[in-house]
Amino acid sequence: MTHLESRGVAPGPIPARAGIGLRSVHHEALLAERPALGFIEAHTENYFHEGGAAMRALLRARAHYLLSLHGVGLGLGSVDGVDREHLARVKQAIDRFEPALVSEHACWGRARGEFFNDLLPLPCTEEAARLLARQVAEAQDFLGRQLLIENVSAYVAFEHSPMPEWEFLGEVVAHSGCALLLDVNNIYVSAQNLGLDARAYIAGLPAGSVREFHVAGHARNGNVLIDDHGSRVCEEVWDLLRLAVARFGPLPTLVEWDNDIPSLATLVAEGQRADAILRERRGLAA
Amino acid sequence: MASLREVQDSFAAALRNPDVACAVLPPANLAVYRNNASHTFRKSLELTYPVVRRRVGEDYFHQLCANYRQRFPSRSGDLHWFGREFAAFLDEYLDGGEYRWLADLARLEWSFAECSIAAERPAVSSESLTRYSVTHLEHLVFHLQPALKLHSFPFPVFTIWETNQVENAPPVDQSLGKQQGMVLSRHDRIEIRRLDPGLFSFLCALAGGAPLGNAMTTAALDGRALTDALAFVFHEGLVCSLTLNDASS
Repeated sequence: MTHLESRGVAPGPIPARAGIGLRSVHHEALLAERPALGFIEAHTENYFHEGGAAMRALLRARAHYLLSLHGVGLGLGSVDGVDREHLARVKQAIDRFEPALVSEHACWGRARGEFFNDLLPLPCTEEAARLLARQVAEAQDFLGRQLLIENVSAYVAFEHSPMPEWEFLGEVVAHSGCALLLDVNNIYVSAQNLGLDARAYIAGLPAGSVREFHVAGHARNGNVLIDDHGSRVCEEVWDLLRLAVARFGPLPTLVEWDNDIPSLATLVAEGQRADAILRERRGLAA
Repeated sequence: MASLREVQDSFAAALRNPDVACAVLPPANLAVYRNNASHTFRKSLELTYPVVRRRVGEDYFHQLCANYRQRFPSRSGDLHWFGREFAAFLDEYLDGGEYRWLADLARLEWSFAECSIAAERPAVSSESLTRYSVTHLEHLVFHLQPALKLHSFPFPVFTIWETNQVENAPPVDQSLGKQQGMVLSRHDRIEIRRLDPGLFSFLCALAGGAPLGNAMTTAALDGRALTDALAFVFHEGLVCSLTLNDASS
């Protein structure tokens, strides 16, 4: 029995319910109100350190909620290779917080030692799929567990990108043994920006490959949709979530809201909308 | 067909310089990634250096951020470390000019940031001194909290930091001169505090591994001042453990 289990919350699995991202402005309210949530999600890099208020707040929250650790800094598609120092910190966070799910992104983030601290898109080529799969597998071997890999929002398409993104992700799943974290807002944003068919994207992913959904709000800047996680989820994205739930079944679903963060009550209410969609599908299955 | 290495190199070059071409469509949308990066790095520095930002104003701070990123690109996927060289950058950038105290202000704020994620060890009480004989006391080595940061600045940087906890604070009288002090994390709160020269010197000696007797001599503390200094270090929870140095045997 681990120190967290001894306080009543085992590492997992996470039920097919909505969760919210843990943000510092909600630490106190979350612990005081303890809203009914399927899980909480935390950005792994915010908990790399030996101490501090944030680390202790997550430990306290973890005693009451299941956890998904969501990384934004590994950039596993970088030609520079896997950042082993960063990976070791991820492992330390996993050992400390015992998350049910650990996820990262299908992206790259550094070139020749310089980090861009962003989720940069990969061309959908055989070479990129093989490299990403190899480095995801390397990370999984080091961490001793399966990773969930999330599709990222894109604002540009590469001139040479011969396969559809869903096929690219399917290749990565097949060759690494990872699962997918399907961000339906990212699909919507990329589809709008690049003229893709969001429904074909969801239909084209391999069955059984998805373990978690993300939904979020986005902003419009001229003709471009920006994945800013700064507002409510739009109706079109809720519709895509319905489609994804129909294809992959009800799964843990995170409402992401990282900018202009609202009250905890508003965030929980967005989670309840996701829960209602997940229940629709459970009702059908019953 | 370009290799993935070539694709990532050209994308990276286009992020650094809008005049560099990259084989993406539509090319104009690369600006979204450039803006994201500028925003991310600027926000990271704003969070770490709020008082520097207040003193220099929004526009100049943005200029500093852009120049800093060129001089010290990010070297980690963990953004917490992005601002680590900001004080060194300001030393270079200000080149000994009238505002060179901003580099020391940045040093103080970096210590604040480091302490906010540092481990806090359990502190020992003054009663632990009673385990040692009087003859051994001068050989005692005090192991201080790892998060304790000690600073001595030629400018009144501690006063500048205190005064600028609010926007639009008046300028601080630079003739206040040299100041010493400490930054410490205690029970999830970060404290920044000025120290008098004797106590500062005593703490620096202890932090450097000097046994109590040597630290007392270095700081030129008399018996009463030593009693006060010891009361301070134990009351503030600065001591994690005590050991005897080799000279005690």
